[in-house]
This record gives sequence, structure tokens and C-alpha cells, in this order.
Amino acid sequence: MSLSFNPTAFDLAAGLLRWLIVMSGVMLIVGISLTLMSLVAVGKTGPLMVVGQIRDGFIDFLGTSPRRVWALTVLTFREAFRRKTLVVFGVFAVLFLFAGWFMSGVTTDPTLQFKAYVSFVLRTISWLILPVVLLLACWGLPEDIRARSLHTVVTKPVRRQEVVLGRIFGFSMIGLLVLAVVGIIGYVWIVRQMGQTPAMRAQLVARVPIYGYKDVLFLDKEGRDKDERGEILKAGINVGDELPFRSFIEGSTQARAIWNFENFSADRLDQGRLIFESSFQSFRTHKGNIEKGLLCQLTLVNVEKNIRVPLQPFIVDEFRRNTYDVTEKNQKGLTDLAGRPVNLAKDLLHDGKLRVEVACLSSQQFLGMARPDLFIRLPDKNFASSYFKSLFSIGLMVITVVVLGVTSGCFVKGPVATLLTAFVVIVGRMARSFMEEVATGDYKDNPQFKMQGRGILDSLIRIPTHKSPTVALDDNWINKTVQLFDNLELAILWAVHQVFPDLGTFDTTEYTANAFDVPFYESLLPSLAVTVGFCVPLILIGYYSLKLRELEAK
Amino acid sequence: MADDIVIQTRNLTKIYRDFWGRKKVRALNSLSLDVRKGEVFGLLGPNGSGKTTTLKLLLGLLFPTEGDVTILGKPAVDVTKNERIGYLPEESYLYRFLNAEETLDFYGRLFNMPADVRRERSRKLIERVGLQHARRRQLKEYSKGMTRRIGLAQALINEPDLILLDEPTSGLDPIGSRDMKDLIVKLKDEGKTVVMCSHLLADVQDVCDRIAILDGGELKVLGKVSELLKDQGVTQMKTTQLSDAVIKEVESLLVRHGAQMLEVDHPTTNLEDLFVKTVRESAARPGQRYIPPSSGNNPAA
Ligand SMILES: Nc1ncnc2c1ncn2[C@@H]1O[C@H](COP(=O)(O)OP(=O)(O)O)[C@@H](O)[C@H]1O
Ligand SMILES: [Mg+2]
Repeated sequence: MSLSFNPTAFDLAAGLLRWLIVMSGVMLIVGISLTLMSLVAVGKTGPLMVVGQIRDGFIDFLGTSPRRVWALTVLTFREAFRRKTLVVFGVFAVLFLFAGWFMSGVTTDPTLQFKAYVSFVLRTISWLILPVVLLLACWGLPEDIRARSLHTVVTKPVRRQEVVLGRIFGFSMIGLLVLAVVGIIGYVWIVRQMGQTPAMRAQLVARVPIYGYKDVLFLDKEGRDKDERGEILKAGINVGDELPFRSFIEGSTQARAIWNFENFSADRLDQGRLIFESSFQSFRTHKGNIEKGLLCQLTLVNVEKNIRVPLQPFIVDEFRRNTYDVTEKNQKGLTDLAGRPVNLAKDLLHDGKLRVEVACLSSQQFLGMARPDLFIRLPDKNFASSYFKSLFSIGLMVITVVVLGVTSGCFVKGPVATLLTAFVVIVGRMARSFMEEVATGDYKDNPQFKMQGRGILDSLIRIPTHKSPTVALDDNWINKTVQLFDNLELAILWAVHQVFPDLGTFDTTEYTANAFDVPFYESLLPSLAVTVGFCVPLILIGYYSLKLRELEAK
Repeated sequence: MADDIVIQTRNLTKIYRDFWGRKKVRALNSLSLDVRKGEVFGLLGPNGSGKTTTLKLLLGLLFPTEGDVTILGKPAVDVTKNERIGYLPEESYLYRFLNAEETLDFYGRLFNMPADVRRERSRKLIERVGLQHARRRQLKEYSKGMTRRIGLAQALINEPDLILLDEPTSGLDPIGSRDMKDLIVKLKDEGKTVVMCSHLLADVQDVCDRIAILDGGELKVLGKVSELLKDQGVTQMKTTQLSDAVIKEVESLLVRHGAQMLEVDHPTTNLEDLFVKTVRESAARPGQRYIPPSSGNNPAA
């Protein structure tokens, strides 16, 4: 019911810095190897030629003419259009004709039904458009070179980057046009499917959550906020998962999970209403009554004024959204522990910092939670808001794939370009986060978890000795040398994984299908960053590939 | 470089390599020549002699293995030179899904020409190459000759100063090639420089001021057409049709003056003779070349 991952705001400054580091690193390596190669190939004048090429590149890019780029864009668009690429529409329409039969009545729960429809539509759209633009983009330029029609173009005052940009814009336009049309068809289809009963219609929303600032903090059974080593507790009890996303607090003890909401002042309340929504997980031990739901209590705290307002306990309904309206439903008026009346706006939210403590009241049972499991729910937006933001993300992915395809078409033939691009897309979509996790040892969904055993040699020791990857190896010289080698190889893996665009970023299905709005800082901004971050170097690669090669089909 | 030299090549050599970088074909060997402003220069040679390779090197489509090219005062790889160049490729490599008007409009846009100029020029050019009736048909429906014509039109869209034509008359009907030749002469009259390559000798003889004959990538002959074809030891007369009796009488007159009648025949294309002779000779004695001092070309300078 809530997200299965932890949405974190994209740090633009840090991202930019990392991009600059990777870019300058790559450029340095390329520059040095080119200089050496030119020295070997042509002797002393070699490095001068390299410098000359860089200067020519600058001059060419400064001479970019938007009108020529536009002419090439229109040409590309027209070509794809006249080659009947838009047959995709037909495929899509047919899919929808039949999908309705199979997908309605999958479940009686309107939330799940909505989720099924939305995921189906968004996944179908991306998996339908992606191969089409990939093929178009990968074959466009190689075909132009093979048919030598490019000869007639480049013997006009056309800069090579204009050819690259024209292709990119043209194929992107085709992709985005198809996306817009099938996107609208999909929207109408979902709204119609979900329009049958009022309960279903009520699902057509985009919830706007405010999550706690940074991590959830925990208090242990005795109410301590630090562990033996004096470190702040960021996890509760592990009930046995090897990679726990949620961690648990025990009922009827001092154990608490604490969310800190920042910058939440009274003017962000919706007409004075404060609504919490939670989706905690219950873990029952064999003691107690299995049928009975777990009892949970929220306490609102203002640390500065030292005000604690316990709210009415509620029974956790698993597999449902538990909404808790603080102002109306449960309280005649808020009171603190001593029964004194408390004003929400003036007392609790006076400095914009609200702390919420969660306790489990059912003894010997456990309540599990992760950061996205509790949030302040702002007034809902329309479903169209999240849906079209999802389409926007798919659009960014289309552009990224087009740029990848066009660039690879600048230096290899169509079939090779297709394979290359498909490889990058598949790795970028499926394996990149895994590579990142192995390279850094950090798990995205679980910040407090750090994998110790990651390297190749390290694994060669751990596997025969049955050592868990979560504990460090013994501190002896063999293991130290092993770690030295492994660090090197992991650094290479880290560098390699940077080459692949993180296409997972573009997948916003989980937000939209769970009736969440697609957040800007957590989702759209990183997608934009990936797109721009990859387009810039790829266009440069495309430009130099076209410039430094003879445009003869070989 | 003198002001009136439009194209200058020095030791231009091209060796095609295969995928692995191994040398395969020496398509052009150490070509040095100058083309002057306002002349029609013909590159002659049998198939595979390196004519197209030369043009592509001039345009920067290929990179020379050795030597260098200056064209309109710029290196071949400089794209800004293309502002003043028109190029008709060997086969018209155009976009087959466009029609004639769209084609010319597209290439006009690549020169950043304003819309009204584009419209005006493409109308005129379509008329000039005689495609009014097919202006709205996609190029994939065109015959070879029609494609050639639209290819020529596209080469002239920017009113270039230097026009490079690769086998301009190939695929054209006799009328078409007549038109093409007239057009070349007209371009020359307008002060433009034309470089054309061809293996059709009559074409070259009709329009070219100077020619270079290539064979196997080697320059064999370079000079003014008029001079190359002049044989100093022979006088040729053209008359109207003569009867056998008259020919006899002329012959006796010649004998009386100590001259000798060498041949009585209907004229053939002299250039054709020269061409065949050159190619044969180059097979017999490779490496030799014949460039009269007055040919107007002095690469060593
Ligand atoms: N792209 C290429 N790769 C390898 N060899 C080529 C290529 N283009 C031309 N050649 C070879 O170079 C030689 C000259 O070709 P070309 O310049 O096209 O001749 P022409 O135009 O005079 O008929 C020929 O032997 C031809 O086979
Ligand atoms: Mg040729």
C-alpha cells in the first residue's frame, strides 16, 4: 500500500559534482591515450593534431545553426513517418481492446484493481515504444551512410553535430508523438475502467505525501536511542529477513519508531486538517490472538516546547491504507499528557518541526515499519497529475534511448548499434543498481545495512569458510591484501557502472499505480539529471565519430 | 597560392584499407594538379581509375593517405567551404521518400536560405532541369535520368562558385546530356568553375577547357584540350562531302607540292583516339606521363 522503496530527494549539487568528476576523469583518460596514440602514429605533430581537433570541435559547436538542425529534424521525422512507423498505434489499440476482457475483475479490491490497470498501461507503453525508438535510432544514421544520402548532406555546410542533433530530435519527436497518443488512449482507458463504481472512482487520485526528514529513528525496548557503541539507533528489531526493508518494534515496551517532519508549518495544513497515513506491517508471535489486529498509537511531539500529545490508538489494518485524521475524527480537541488543551497550529507546529512517535500496544507482537510507511497526507491531486508525470518520465527515457541509439549509429553499423544500445539499456535497467550495490556496499532500500564481503577474492575466502557477507573478515595480512585487490576491482566496477544510464530512475509506475503523485525532487529531477548527464557526452561522442571517420560504407 | 586557383592538390594519395586496416587498393597515387577559376576541368579515366576518389578527397568525404588538398583556400575537411560548392555525386544519393520540391527545399534549408528564396530557386531549378511534371512525385518513383536531373538541381541550389560533377551525363538520354553540356557551358559563361569527371569522351571534349587523364590512380595526361589534340605534323581539313574524282584530283595536287595524303575518312572523335592511346601506352610503359609545358599546369611551382 505504501512504497516498497525509500524515496530520497535527489541532491543536485552532489550529482553535478559526481558528474563532473566522472566526465573529467573520462576526458583525461581519453585525452592522454589519444595524445600517446597520436605520438606513436604520426610523431611529434600528433598532440598538435589532437589539440586542433578539440579546437575545431569548439568552433563547430559554436557554429551550430538551429535552422539546419531543424531541417534535419523534420527530415528524420518525415522519414520515420513515411516509413509507416506509426503502425505501433495499431498494435497498442488492439492490445487495449483485448486487455479489458482479461484484466477487469482480477480482484474485488478497487485499490489492487487500480494498481493492475495502471501498471499494465504504463509498462505496456514503455515496452512498446522503447523497442521502436531503439530500432529507429540505431538504424537511422547507418542506413543514411550506407545509402550514401549522407554524402549529399555533409557536402552542404552542415556540421557533424547538426546531423547528430537532427537525428536525435527527429526520432525523439516521433517517440514523443507516439507516447502522447498512446498515453492519452491509456488514460481514457484507465478512467473508463475505473469509472464503474463510486469505490473505484475514488481510487483515481494522486496522493501527496510528506515523508519524515531523513531516517526513521528508533528507541529500543528500554527506551534508549543509542546502541552499546553509542551510535544512534536507525533500526529496530530484525524479525528474520536477510535484507530487511522494514524493521520492527516490540509491543508494550519502551520501543518506539520516530519520524521527524521538518518545514511543516501550520499554513501547509489543509483547512486546519492534519491527516496521517500509515501502512505498518504486523508480525505476530505464536502468543496472543491471531485474529485480532495489532494496536498502534501515534504521539505527536513538539520537542522545543516539550509538548506530547498522545492520539487515540487504532487497530492496524494490514493491506489497507490506514488514514488517521488528527483534527476531526478521533479527537474532540487535542490534549497533552496532563490533559491540557493543545493548539495544533500554535503549539505543535509553531516551529515547523513535528515529531511523531509510534508505539505498538499489543504485547508480544511486533509492528514493522520503514520510512515511507508513515506520512502526512496533503490534499490529493488528480490522477491525471501523477499519470502524466509518469508519461513525462517515459518521455525522458525515450529521449535517452534515442540519444544512445543515434550515438552508437555514428560509429557502428545498424545491427551492431542495435545490440550495443540494447545491451546498455538492459544493463541500465536491470543490472545497474546491483552493480552499484556491489561496488559501494550500500543498499538503496536499507541505509543502515552495509555489505562487507563483495570482492571476487573476498568471496573466494568466504564461500569455502561459510562466512556471512555481513561480517568483516579477520584482521590478518592475507585478508588485508585480499581487500586491497578487491578495492581496486570494485573501484573499476564503480567506474564501469557509471557508463550505464540508470534507466530504473525513469520508472515511476510504483508511484502512480499506488495512487501517489510522482514527486519532483525524488523522481523527476533525477530522471532529468540522467537524461541531461548522458546526452551531453553522448552527443560529443557522436560528433567526433562522424567527424573522424570516412563516411563510406565498409 | 595564387588568387585564381580554386583547387590545389599536392601528392594526393589514397589507399583504401580493409576493416583490419590492411592496405587494399591504391586508388590514387600522388596526384598534383591545380584548377583555375572559371575553367571547366575534366577528369578522365577508365572505370576504377580514381576519379570519384579524387572528388571525394576534394570534398573531405575521404581523408587522404598522403598529400593535401586546398579547395577555395580552405582545407578539405572545413565544412564552411561547402557554402560555395555544388556537388553532384556519382549516383544521386538523395532521400527517396521526398518529392522534388521537398528535396530542393531541404537542401536549401541546409544553406540557411530564407523561405522565399528557397521557393523561388527550387521553382526555377525544377524548370531548368525539366521536371515540372514530376515535382510532386516521390523520388523513389523517378527513373535514373530523372534522379540525375534532380541531383543536378540540388547541386545548384546555393548558386555555387565551384561545381563538382561526378559522371554528370550518366543515365541521361541524348537530349538530357546535351542539356547538361549546355548547362555546363552556361555555368562557365557565368564565371563559375566546373570540375567534372567522366569516361564519356565526347562529353569531355565538348565542354572541357583542360583535362587530366587518370589510369590506375596515376595522372597520365594533363593539359588544354585544344593543345593536347593538336598534332603539329599533320594538317586536317574539313570539307563538305567530296566525290572520289575530286579526292583523286586533290591528291595529285598534294603530290605536286611534295605532300602526302595520309587518310581520307569521315571524322572520328579525336579525343577518343587520345584516350585509348593513353590507356594503352600506360599499360605498356607504366609510370610515364605526358604533360606539355604549355599545359597551364605546373605543380612544382
Ligand atoms: N570504399 C572503397 N573501398 C575500397 N576500395 C574502393 C572504395 N571505393 C573505390 N575503391 C577502389 O578504388 C579504385 C578507384 O575507384 P573510383 O575512384 O570509384 O574510380 P572511378 O570513379 O574512376 O571509376 C577502384 O579500384 C575501386 O575499386
Ligand atoms: Mg566513379
